[in-house]
Amino acid sequence: MIRIEKERIDEFIRALMETWSVYAPARDGKNTLFAPVEDPAGIDHGIFNTDKSPKEIFFPHSEVLFEFEGGEIKKVERDARPIAVWGLRGCDARSLRLLDKVFGSAWQKPDNDMFEDPYWKEKYDDSIIFGTACNEPRSTCFCNWFGAGPHDGAGMDVKVVDTGEAFILDPVSEKGKKYIGSLKGWAEATKKDVTKMKAAAKEADKAMGEVFGMDGIQEKMADLFLKPVWNDIGAKCVNCGACAFICSTCHCFDVQDEGKKGKKGKRIRIWDTCMFPIFTMEASGHNPRDMSKDRLRQRFMHKFSYFINNYDEHLCTGCGRCVIVCPVNLDIREVVREVMACEA
Amino acid sequence: MSNTYIPIQMKVERIEIEDPDKALRTFDLVFVNEEDKKNFEYMPGQFCEWSLLGLGESPFGIASSPTETDFLRFTVSRTGSVTNEIHYLREGDTIGIRGPMGNWYPVEKFKGGNVVIIGGGFAFTTLRSLIVYMLEHRKDYGDITVIYGARAPELFIYKDEISEWQKRDDIDIQLTIDNPAEGWDGRTGFVPTVTKEIAPSTENTWVVVCGPPIMIKFTLPVLSELKFADDRIYTSLERRMKCGIGKCGRCNIGSKYICIDGPVFSLAELKKIPEAF
Amino acid sequence: MTVKELRETVKSLLTEGKVDLVIGWGKGTMPGTSTPVFIDTAEKADSLIFDSTCRNNLSVYFTKDRRALAKDDKKIGVLVKGCDSRSLVLNITEKQIDREKVTIIGVPCNGVVDMKKVVGKVDGKEILEFTDDSKKVTVKGREFELTFPLDEVISDSCLTCVRRDAVEYDLFIGEAREPGSDENAYAEVEEFEKLDSEERWERMKQEYSACIRCYACRNVCPSCYCNVCFVDQNDPQWIGKSPEITDTMIFHIIRNLHVAGRCVECGACERACPMDIKLLLLNRKVAKEVRDRFGSITGTGLENKPAMADFKEDENQDFIMG
Repeated sequence: MIRIEKERIDEFIRALMETWSVYAPARDGKNTLFAPVEDPAGIDHGIFNTDKSPKEIFFPHSEVLFEFEGGEIKKVERDARPIAVWGLRGCDARSLRLLDKVFGSAWQKPDNDMFEDPYWKEKYDDSIIFGTACNEPRSTCFCNWFGAGPHDGAGMDVKVVDTGEAFILDPVSEKGKKYIGSLKGWAEATKKDVTKMKAAAKEADKAMGEVFGMDGIQEKMADLFLKPVWNDIGAKCVNCGACAFICSTCHCFDVQDEGKKGKKGKRIRIWDTCMFPIFTMEASGHNPRDMSKDRLRQRFMHKFSYFINNYDEHLCTGCGRCVIVCPVNLDIREVVREVMACEA
Repeated sequence: MSNTYIPIQMKVERIEIEDPDKALRTFDLVFVNEEDKKNFEYMPGQFCEWSLLGLGESPFGIASSPTETDFLRFTVSRTGSVTNEIHYLREGDTIGIRGPMGNWYPVEKFKGGNVVIIGGGFAFTTLRSLIVYMLEHRKDYGDITVIYGARAPELFIYKDEISEWQKRDDIDIQLTIDNPAEGWDGRTGFVPTVTKEIAPSTENTWVVVCGPPIMIKFTLPVLSELKFADDRIYTSLERRMKCGIGKCGRCNIGSKYICIDGPVFSLAELKKIPEAF
Repeated sequence: MTVKELRETVKSLLTEGKVDLVIGWGKGTMPGTSTPVFIDTAEKADSLIFDSTCRNNLSVYFTKDRRALAKDDKKIGVLVKGCDSRSLVLNITEKQIDREKVTIIGVPCNGVVDMKKVVGKVDGKEILEFTDDSKKVTVKGREFELTFPLDEVISDSCLTCVRRDAVEYDLFIGEAREPGSDENAYAEVEEFEKLDSEERWERMKQEYSACIRCYACRNVCPSCYCNVCFVDQNDPQWIGKSPEITDTMIFHIIRNLHVAGRCVECGACERACPMDIKLLLLNRKVAKEVRDRFGSITGTGLENKPAMADFKEDENQDFIMG
């Protein structure tokens, strides 16, 4: 564990920038997001949870799969430097790990790399994640519903704890240990630092709301699939994509070609969401998820039933972004509570 | 690391128009690169994404059988902008495909059993693949019965091949059209009704149903009425698809993705998924 | 008006069978928020509230695939602020809603709170408690408490609003006020008009560059109810789906023009935007043009057709001739 006095943090980041392409929380106009760092002074270390989720670092809103000209296909080369992310909260670090289950691994056919996503892997596999422990969780936070906590280091390579006067860098993964071990010129964390870290973790835990038990939610949701409870839950949803696009774990996408046939163009993938009717609309005009409530149900089934069946985890880490942005205050926590309270 | 999103190059070798309205065309494609041909292993029931640069992609079931090693066959109905462009293709043109994708009809499981194949309209593509495959491995299977329905006589696809099959005594071909038509002396009536009339024996028999959703919907209860067990009935589903590798999220029914867990499912599996129908 | 009056009114409408369902607002899950509620029994009416947190324009629940609500045999009641009532009027004149089947219940509005302005007052700190009355707002958080006038934190759309109370209603809870004058309603638009075209373009580009194409603006808008929106036309595709500025601008500008003479300036789009884009400015610019050219103010009378669906011989036609 090493300690970096706050006034020397820019020095640390600058050293990181020599080998890594660094992303960190920043303000862009009215909103906050993870942006490539050009000058460490531009990093906003005080941002609670960025408005836009960091999934876009590894899974951009719009990503070129390849370019073409006539019949020729050309893969686009990306910046060869590996990615380092600074200032990622625990919830977001775990979100990336969930997305890695989808894109990174070949879970369906373990010996078949056809099912690995090269665009995700070329970015995430070599990345290093410096996560920031949450000292002041907010009322919209519910990471503790998923067995995590504000000072949890899961999904991080190095956990960073802000003790007031310094950042303490606590390596979590092998990669993190290797990196911290390779550093020179930084003091070891003191006993006092460790005491402060423990105190901060305790305070943060206290600030969290009560844990809501979600045991058996995947079966419960499946049993309720055809029940009228979804009419009630779905009544106020206006089917926009705010929740899905701001979500750190929603990862559905569309593939589209831009440019003209036989000429120059590119094939891109773009974020998409099950909330939009055209997501499943077939060429015949038939739509298996025709009604607003069918689509809302799909989103929650994916998070709390299907994903557990397929990957053994909830597709939600309790970051609370959707709670904040939903224009009709359709609170994901309330949906879970309503479902769990419902008799099948 | 391979990149599944990059299509492999195919050349259009042969085009056949299947119907008087020219809305159905069959394409035989050959591999441009020998390497791709070697790596492309498939089974009846699988599908490919056709990839037209600048237009996008559309999934189609493979109509050729893996026993036909020289080409891949597809039959494409003109319904949207991508399929429209596909219909403009000429022999010699180059296109991209990605695949093979999805699972296949359980031909291993069928071994030693009788097989009833029920199809409708132009969804007969992967059923052709299955029939050709089984005829090639004829001794592995018992009786093969094919019930195939179309709106009118001219709307059957693979007409020449079907007449060849009709001449054989190791396969029973039952064709039906919706309404009586001049010059047609075969059966008339919808596929579910005709299936009920033919009433194939359930003994050691597997059934494969593939056709328009409405046909499947009404045929499945008939099969249950005839006492076929749910785990002996197989069907192939369709949904809007994009990636074909279980990631883009749109083709799921419940926890299953049609593109990787399907398109072939047994009725027993589907009954566990409320969204399937 | 008191909340008690509101609840009692809704209860008696339901028990007397005058309506089968009332769409209103209930308490939200975060301080300073409300959420749409669907009240079909007298007991449920006790969850109704009305205060400065009731931002949603509930008329949206009569359009899109919820329009079945209005076409069923069900008799529906809906709570409306001034702007919301104008949306209903528009939808009625556009034959989306049958006037006979909807019971419009007006509530007196003093403007709805823009929480981003409130958070700005406390330097971005988290607000844990929010209370308001018709004149002031009090917020509490960890180690702070602050009270300020309501007018300082209401939405921009409310600042210039001169029709705070319903223009069309069956019942009004309390006393409906007469509309004010539109004379100076477009001060910020006039400021915008002073910029040259390049500056205006830059300003809009800057705003829209934050767009994530979630379509929350479109989906909360009661005037936006096309069966298939032009951005969803995919066979063939009409416009690109990526958040690239050109496509994003096309989406916003076309939407803007499609609601010309149909936008009631309620500001629901702006409040729904997760990226805090000032969407209303262009809408208000168009509304001002419609007022000045055609003398029409959208959704203010059941007898008035929307400006773009109407033609008067004596109206200004220089845009055709010139």
